[in-house]
Amino acid sequence: MIPLSWYLTLAAVLFTIGLYGVLARKNAVIVLMGIEIMMNAANLNLIVFSRFLPQTRLSAQVFSLFGITIAAAEVAVGLALVIAIFKMMKTIEVEKIEQLKG
Amino acid sequence: METLDQLFVLLKEGILQIAEAFLPSGLLPFVSILVSITAIAIFAPAVMMYLTWLERKVIGRMQNRYGPNRVGKFGLLQPIADGIKMLTKEDIVPAKADRFGHFLAPVAVVVPSLLLFSVLPFGRNMIAADLEIGLLFFLAISSVGTLAIFIGGWGSRNKFSLLGAMRALAQMVSYEVPLVLSIVTVVMMVGSLSTMDIVEAQSGWNGFRWFIFTPWGFFGFLIFFIGSVAEVNRTPFDIPEGESEIVAGFHTEYSGMKFALFYMAEFLGAFAFAALGATLFFGGWQGPFLPSWLWFGLKTFVLVFVIIWLRGTFPRLRVDQLMGYAWKFLLPMALVNILAAGVWYYLSQPLASFASAALLVASYLLLSRLSPTGTRLEKRTYRYAE
Amino acid sequence: MGLFFVVLSLMTLLGALGAMLLKNLVHCAIGLVLFFIGIAGFYLLLQAEFIAAVQILIYVGAVATLILFAVMLTENVIGETTLKGLGRNRWAALILSLVVGGVLIKAIGHQTFSAAQVAERVSTREIGRSLLTTYVLPFEVISILLVAAMIGAIVIAMERNKRMGE
Repeated sequence: MIPLSWYLTLAAVLFTIGLYGVLARKNAVIVLMGIEIMMNAANLNLIVFSRFLPQTRLSAQVFSLFGITIAAAEVAVGLALVIAIFKMMKTIEVEKIEQLKG
Repeated sequence: METLDQLFVLLKEGILQIAEAFLPSGLLPFVSILVSITAIAIFAPAVMMYLTWLERKVIGRMQNRYGPNRVGKFGLLQPIADGIKMLTKEDIVPAKADRFGHFLAPVAVVVPSLLLFSVLPFGRNMIAADLEIGLLFFLAISSVGTLAIFIGGWGSRNKFSLLGAMRALAQMVSYEVPLVLSIVTVVMMVGSLSTMDIVEAQSGWNGFRWFIFTPWGFFGFLIFFIGSVAEVNRTPFDIPEGESEIVAGFHTEYSGMKFALFYMAEFLGAFAFAALGATLFFGGWQGPFLPSWLWFGLKTFVLVFVIIWLRGTFPRLRVDQLMGYAWKFLLPMALVNILAAGVWYYLSQPLASFASAALLVASYLLLSRLSPTGTRLEKRTYRYAE
Repeated sequence: MGLFFVVLSLMTLLGALGAMLLKNLVHCAIGLVLFFIGIAGFYLLLQAEFIAAVQILIYVGAVATLILFAVMLTENVIGETTLKGLGRNRWAALILSLVVGGVLIKAIGHQTFSAAQVAERVSTREIGRSLLTTYVLPFEVISILLVAAMIGAIVIAMERNKRMGE
C-alpha cells in the first residue's frame, strides 16, 4: 500500500517542474505546456484525496473532471492567441513580445 | 457443442493448471494475462496478413482480374512472401529527418492498434480484459494513434509527409466526434460501458433484439461505420495516404519494416473497428448453432468485407468534402440519433419505433437538402480552345 | 504494487523533465504525451478508471494534438531554433521553483494524515448521476464555457482580412 504522502510528494515535484518550465522557457507554446503540467499535478492531488478520504470520494473526482475540461478549453484559447501573435509579430518568444512594456 | 464453444477458455484453464504446478501462486494472474497477450499477439498479425490477401483478391475480382495467384494455391502464401520482402528491405532514413520521431512513430501507431483487441469479446467468456469502462478505453486508445501519425509525418522533413499528416490528423479528429456520439446512443440504451454487458443486453428473441433492428441502431450503425472507416484512413477517406495524390502521404519516407508496421496498424484498426461494430450493433458472439467465436468471426468478416468493398468501389473524397461531411452532416445526424433513441425508449412500442424512425428520416432529408456542398448540378458549360 | 508506482513515477518525471528542458519542440511534445500517459497510469493505480480514460481521451487525443499543431504552425522561420530554449532568468526561475517545491514538501511532511482510509471505488454510473443531479449547475456552466472557448478560439485565430471585413 503506497502511503498518501508519497503521492502528494510526487505531485509537488511535478508541480515544481511545471513551474520551472513556465518561468524559464522562452517559447510561448512550451509555457502553455508547463501550465498543463501544473494543472495535471493538481488533478493528481485531487484524485489521491478522492481515494484516501471517504467523504470526498465522489466530489473530488467530479472536481478533477471539471478541471480537465477547463484545462482543455484554456489550452485551446491560449494556442489560438499564440497563433494570432505569431501572425502579427513573426515570433513567439516571450521576451520579444513586450509592446505593453514601460 | 458446449466444449467446442468454450474451446479456448478450456485451453487457457488447462495452461493455467499446468502453470500452477510449477510456479508460486502469486504469479498466476501474470501467467493468465501473459496467455491472453500471447493469444492476441499471434492472432492479430495472422489476421492482418490474411486480410491483405483477402483485400487484394477481392479488389482484383472487382476490377475484373485475378488477384495474386502465383505464390501457392490461390495466392495463399502471398502474405508470407510480402512479409519476407518487407523484412529484408533496406531501412532508409532521410538525412535531415528527426531520428527519434522517425523511429518512434511506427511503433507508436501499432501499439494502440494492438491494445484495441483487449476489450473485444471474441466469444462467450472470451475477453482479454473485462474492464468496467471497456468501450471508453477503446475510444481513448484509438485517439492515441492519431498523434503518432502526426509525429511520423512531421519527423520525415518532407512537405508531402507533413501535408498528409496534417490532413490525417484533421480527418481523424473530425470523425471521432460522430463516432463517439453514435456509440453514446448504444451506451445510453444499455446503461453500461462494458462490452460484455452490451452483448448481454442484445440477447433473446432469436436475434431480434440486436440493436441493428431498431431505428436508432440502424442509423447509429451507419454513422459508426462511416466514422470508423474514416478513423482508420481507408478509402474513400484515405486522403492522408492518397496513393495518387501526395505520393504516399505521411508514410512516404518509410521503407521496409517501418512501412509494414504502418500498414499493419491500418489493417488491425479496420479489423478492431469492424469487430466493435459487430459487438455493438449485431449482437456480438450470439447466434443459434455454431460456436460463439465462429459467429463473432463471421460477423466481423462480413463487416471487413464491406470495408474492402468500399475501397474497390468509391473514389476518394476531397479534403473539403470530407470535413464538410463530418461536421455538417454526420454530427447533426448523430445528435438526432441520440434524441430518437430517447423517444424510442420512453414511448410504448409500435408508436415508438414509428416515431423515432420518422424523426431520423425527416432529419436525414432535411440535412441533405440543407447541405450546400455539391448538390447544385447545373448544365455543363464547355469552353473550347480557339 | 510498489513496482508499478516506481515505474510510473519515473516515466512521469522523465516526461515532465523532457517537456520542460529539451530544445527540439517536437521532442518536448512527445515528453508531454509521456507525462499525460503516466498520469493516466496513476489514476488507474488509484482506481479512478473513468478519469484515467477521460485523461487519455482528452489530453492525449486532443490537447497534445493542439499543442503539436501550434508547434508546427509557429515554427521560427528566422532560424533561431538552435538557441538555448531557456531565457535570461533561468537561475531565478530555478531558485523560485525549488523554493515553492520545498514549501510544498515541507507542508506534506508536517502532516500525519491520520484521517486517511481507503475509500471504495467510484463507478461511472455514480459520476454520471451526480453530474446531472448534485452538480448540474457547474455542468451547465462548463458547457457554456466550452462553447465560449470554441467561438473565442475561432475568432482569435481567424484571418485578419476576414475579421476586418465584418
